[in-house]
Amino acid sequence: MWNDILEFLRGMGFMHIDWQQACMLVISFFLLFLAIKKQYEPLLLLPIAFGMLLTNLPGANMFHSELWTAFLDPSSPAYHSYGAILKEGGLLDVLYIGVKAGVYPCLIFIGVGAMTDFGPLIANPKSLLLGAAAQIGIFITFLCANALGFTEAQAGAIGIIGGADGPTSIFLTSKLAPELLGPIAIAAYSYMALVPVIQPPIMRLLTTKEERAIKMKQLRAVSKTEKIIFPILVTTIVALILPDAAPLIGCLMLGNLMKECGVVDRLSKTAQNELMNIVVIFLGLSVGATATGASFLNLQTIMILVMGIVAFGMGSGGGVLLAKLMNVFSKEKINPLIGSAGVSAVPMAARVSQQVGQEENPGNFLLMHAMGPNVAGVIGSAVAAGILLTMLG
Amino acid sequence: MILLAVNWPHVWMVTLLGFAIVLILLVVLIYVLKLFGFIMRPRVKVENPHEVHEAVGAPRKQTSEKITLTGNATAAIAMALHLYYNGVHDEEPTQVTIKKVERKYSPWNSKLYGMNNLHRS
Repeated sequence: MWNDILEFLRGMGFMHIDWQQACMLVISFFLLFLAIKKQYEPLLLLPIAFGMLLTNLPGANMFHSELWTAFLDPSSPAYHSYGAILKEGGLLDVLYIGVKAGVYPCLIFIGVGAMTDFGPLIANPKSLLLGAAAQIGIFITFLCANALGFTEAQAGAIGIIGGADGPTSIFLTSKLAPELLGPIAIAAYSYMALVPVIQPPIMRLLTTKEERAIKMKQLRAVSKTEKIIFPILVTTIVALILPDAAPLIGCLMLGNLMKECGVVDRLSKTAQNELMNIVVIFLGLSVGATATGASFLNLQTIMILVMGIVAFGMGSGGGVLLAKLMNVFSKEKINPLIGSAGVSAVPMAARVSQQVGQEENPGNFLLMHAMGPNVAGVIGSAVAAGILLTMLG
Repeated sequence: MILLAVNWPHVWMVTLLGFAIVLILLVVLIYVLKLFGFIMRPRVKVENPHEVHEAVGAPRKQTSEKITLTGNATAAIAMALHLYYNGVHDEEPTQVTIKKVERKYSPWNSKLYGMNNLHRS
């Protein structure tokens, strides 16, 4: 009997926990606190933090990083073998297949598309320029990450944090640098949650009081036909020019077409709610599961977190500066505050433009104007991801 | 040492070319959307009311291609359409659903135990 008791005691997780796992458990508790108490992107931060908790429980065997190392090793018999994962993996390994195959980010994009109104962008196509300018953060960070010793593929994955688009970051990182998926996903979602803290000082620094008070002309009405043709047109053009961007742009526009055409309401509602919610749970849990002690607690993670904020700040600043430049050449003045919404983070970044604008002029309503660059940023970051995938993949 | 190990020409090429492609692609989309907006623009031209006022009494211009409407006429048409689409009731849904109403037996609605069913001696 004593032997049985000793055997049970030896099998307890407490007997096997190392310092790295203990640290990761504390970090997961902290992230759970941020998600629940502070409500920082709780829909994703909560499953990510819980995935992190589960993967760092010794003996639970829910995620096996060694299986995924073998999956990527050409000399291993399990190289690119999903069968080996299904045979030997735990629950989180099976869920992670969806990330590895790039399925979850695309499914989330269907839901994002079904919830997005591209009307402000169609009404003011110049917004696309602001969405493009905000992607400069991605490429500057790519340069910085190379200088800090990351490989080109890893640098591309780190740079995409500047796009402030969680699914795009996960999609690109799972293809270019899967070993960095945990830190990059956490950095991307943390900074997206911190948009109201990060962006306003940059916006105020780069603009004058008069510029912040500029009132913009009301946007024209957009017909239903335009809204229906837009997703078909954009998918065709972008996918023909940049085929690697097709999965993300295609899924985004499919969701939007389902919303706008008005004949598949059930599908649109499913994409917006059930599908999106189910995939968010799977994605969050499996991304959190990759944050094991050995892969997370190192200097690389700290550098990724620092570069992520640089990417984000550069992107926000790039959009504001281009809006100022456009004002030099354009007859109709643009409020430069809407430029910072060119980083995706829909709709948080647009709301921040509205709030900062109203601080200067309470009668100024910038929200709909900022939604144009905001949704252009989603397209821009998906295009940037496609370019990086083509050049570095 | 790290800086020397980096393939800088390729890194610069990816940076500059990558950003340039993002810009070019989105500029192409701007022009496509502008063209698209031009094609899809509303065909009805709303005439300036001041011009209409000036033109009273003068022979009306022959505009065979453009329909000119004043704000009042537009409002009247909008109201007529609104009344038509909200008031019209000559199209019924063709779907006929017959729901079989089945009442299960219960002593509470039974005739047998009803108050009117008095015992007669």
